[in-house]
Amino acid sequence: MLFHTWLFVLFFLIVYLIYLVLKRTRFRLFWLLAVSYFFYACFHPLYPILIAYASLVDYTVVARMAKSSRGKAWLFVSIFNNLALLGFFKYGGFVTDNLNLLLSSLGISYAIAEPGIILPVGLSFYTLQSMSYTIDFYRGNIEREKSFIAYAAYVSLFPRLLAGPIERAKSLLPQLHTTPRISIQDVTDGLSLFAVGLFKKVALADYMALYVDKVYAAPEQFKSPALLLATFLFSWQIYFDFSGYTDMARGLARMMGVRLMLNFNNPYLATGLGDFWRRWHISLSSWFKDYVYIPLGGNRHGKLKTYRNMFLTMIISGLWHGAAWTFVIWGAVHALGRFLTRELEGTSFYKEKVPGLVKQLFVFALVTFAWIFFRAENISDAWLIITRLFSSGLANPYCPLLALTLILTVWLYQFIYESAIRWVLETRAVRIGLVVAMIMYLVVFAKSSETPFIYLQF
Amino acid sequence: MNRSDRRETMELEIPFGSNCVRLSGFEWLIVAVVVSALFYCVPILWKHIEKLKPGPDYRLPYSLSDDYWLFSRYCQWACSREKTLVIGDSVVWGHYVSKENTLSGYLNEVAGRHKFVNMGVDGIHPVALAGLLRYYGRDITDKDIILHFNPLWTSSKKHDLQIEKEFNFNHPKLVPQFVPNIPCYKVSSSVRIKSVIERYISFFSWTSHLKRAYFENPDLPRWTLEHPYENPLKNITLQLPASDGYNWSGHLPWYEKGVTKQDIQWVAIENSLQWRFFKYSVELLRKRGNRVLVLLGPFNEHILQRGSINTYRQMKKKIEAWLKQNNIPYYMPEALPSSMYRDASHPLSEGYVELARQLFKSAYGGSD
Repeated sequence: MLFHTWLFVLFFLIVYLIYLVLKRTRFRLFWLLAVSYFFYACFHPLYPILIAYASLVDYTVVARMAKSSRGKAWLFVSIFNNLALLGFFKYGGFVTDNLNLLLSSLGISYAIAEPGIILPVGLSFYTLQSMSYTIDFYRGNIEREKSFIAYAAYVSLFPRLLAGPIERAKSLLPQLHTTPRISIQDVTDGLSLFAVGLFKKVALADYMALYVDKVYAAPEQFKSPALLLATFLFSWQIYFDFSGYTDMARGLARMMGVRLMLNFNNPYLATGLGDFWRRWHISLSSWFKDYVYIPLGGNRHGKLKTYRNMFLTMIISGLWHGAAWTFVIWGAVHALGRFLTRELEGTSFYKEKVPGLVKQLFVFALVTFAWIFFRAENISDAWLIITRLFSSGLANPYCPLLALTLILTVWLYQFIYESAIRWVLETRAVRIGLVVAMIMYLVVFAKSSETPFIYLQF
Repeated sequence: MNRSDRRETMELEIPFGSNCVRLSGFEWLIVAVVVSALFYCVPILWKHIEKLKPGPDYRLPYSLSDDYWLFSRYCQWACSREKTLVIGDSVVWGHYVSKENTLSGYLNEVAGRHKFVNMGVDGIHPVALAGLLRYYGRDITDKDIILHFNPLWTSSKKHDLQIEKEFNFNHPKLVPQFVPNIPCYKVSSSVRIKSVIERYISFFSWTSHLKRAYFENPDLPRWTLEHPYENPLKNITLQLPASDGYNWSGHLPWYEKGVTKQDIQWVAIENSLQWRFFKYSVELLRKRGNRVLVLLGPFNEHILQRGSINTYRQMKKKIEAWLKQNNIPYYMPEALPSSMYRDASHPLSEGYVELARQLFKSAYGGSD
């Protein structure tokens, strides 16, 4: 049951109306939890058991931690449990594949059987969220949550269950405890966010996917312009897809009186890779900063160790995205790009002489190059694409001009949004005109499909 | 910190978004009014912009068989004139013949004037026809109607949509989406809800019309992949496709195409979903004040093995009994000569001539 389907609209209408009735009663959290588990069960009837287990362990761990002097041991239990869940469901196949490769390279004919486990949707997101609660409690940043219902609702809240944002307990739990005061503005804000997210996903991301999927499915059949164009379109597809999902998630939550964090902030206007990661998947990058990069030492022990920490963080982030070497390389490319832009940012020439637009294009080119590893089926495909990008000659890429026009329009919108003439976009006529145009485009022209969000596979 | 302070702090901590698309209640109201007005007005205006001028023996273009908005327009046109509507599947539409050589074409020839309108829809089966008449044929009231029943739709459990295994059947948007359950129809609930919405909000069926009539494919994005450098708006020529037919190969009878005799496992008529919905269509049309004459077959009995013929004839008797019991006028012709069939149910031109002659004589006593 995906956000951009009619079934979800029907589901939400029912859930929301009952939520409004129950919002001042003690049944509100029960209702939130019940519908979140039901929502999750729509993907697989056993998924609620898994999330209930993950929630119960961390809830119990913190309860024990509060009463025990052996906080570190209990923290270890929580981290171990969450990583074990991730390891079992997400990395089982990856580990066996690599072990088998190692065995065969050693001339050993024995092969370990593939576990054949399906990764439960949302697992990567809610394990991080749950883990952040135990770590924050251990650090003394938050108080213990006494109600299991509230804690389980925090972990499973359906608007953000599938792909985030990865919320911190400090921000979300108090909101769940407070009786929501849902104003008309909350509802209209929610609708605005949802409308933009829906447009990004259905009208833009799914459109780009048509071209990208065709080229990336058989890169050997395409020449340099088509590969370049497909990679360029994928940069926008993944942005529209994931930020569209997040906008919808935030919109739904806002209608329910819950504010989720901003997860994307026009990332392709970033002027450095550091800036990019402050704008792209903000909830994940801040999670890795707080729970991986800083514990590793952050930037406190000199340049070399800072870069080492950045590199490790990006590699782990890559692995978090997917259990494949392509994601590890994607993380490494980002780390190297981060070193490069950080060094450049240290020079007065780059800081003062290079125009902002050039920096933006440079960062966009770096990020787009890294996406090749993210999107390619495997390393050999990624390598094939890169070599063919430079050596396969020219041919008509049959580039849909409408897709490029749409991208240019969005980019221009974002550019103006961050410029001095932002007021143009703030005028009532422009805002209303945009929403009407988006709705009419969606209804009349958009592709009719139920394509899942890209990030559901992580 | 009181509640409003806490709320204010939260506002500062959590930005709304990364764009200016943030509408107030009043602004959403304006959006709702504008969008509703567009939903209401555009299909109406479009009827004036895109001309539908059905000439003699017109039938819906083959490529627009599932353009129900166009069917609805065609209904309005036909019902605004003193015409007899001939409704049915590809047998009525004339799958293997040109538009002049169809049943309605020859009925017009026998009648000596253009009285009969070909309202056949290629590929439609009784379950879908019931949906078509119910949702898109609301204008058909107080008319003379010849409603054709093709026994082919009860010739197997698959034709009768009663198998469990999913398969792509024609006109899925018109079949009941939730109740009764059609076991071989296994699309997602969202697709079903969308189909239901399309039936009630004509703007949605208009958008389908736009896509089918001008973009070949079901949606614009796919079209732009095939025509990357073309302006999609230029493709909206406002010229509907010609009323031509399926590109059939040859004009040979069934036995010369290598088709052999068949042992058909007829579905018992009392258990048939297709028959149940055909009865519903008859009742619906009669409730709307129409005068319905049911035309049954004629099925190509020459293609049947002996056992199948007997079962078929028993089925015909049961159908006849129901029609008599409900005082529904009907015509149940004998099978045409074998050489007049293209396959199990479609006549060739000669077959349509013969059928029109018989039907006109039987139903209208030789004069209309």
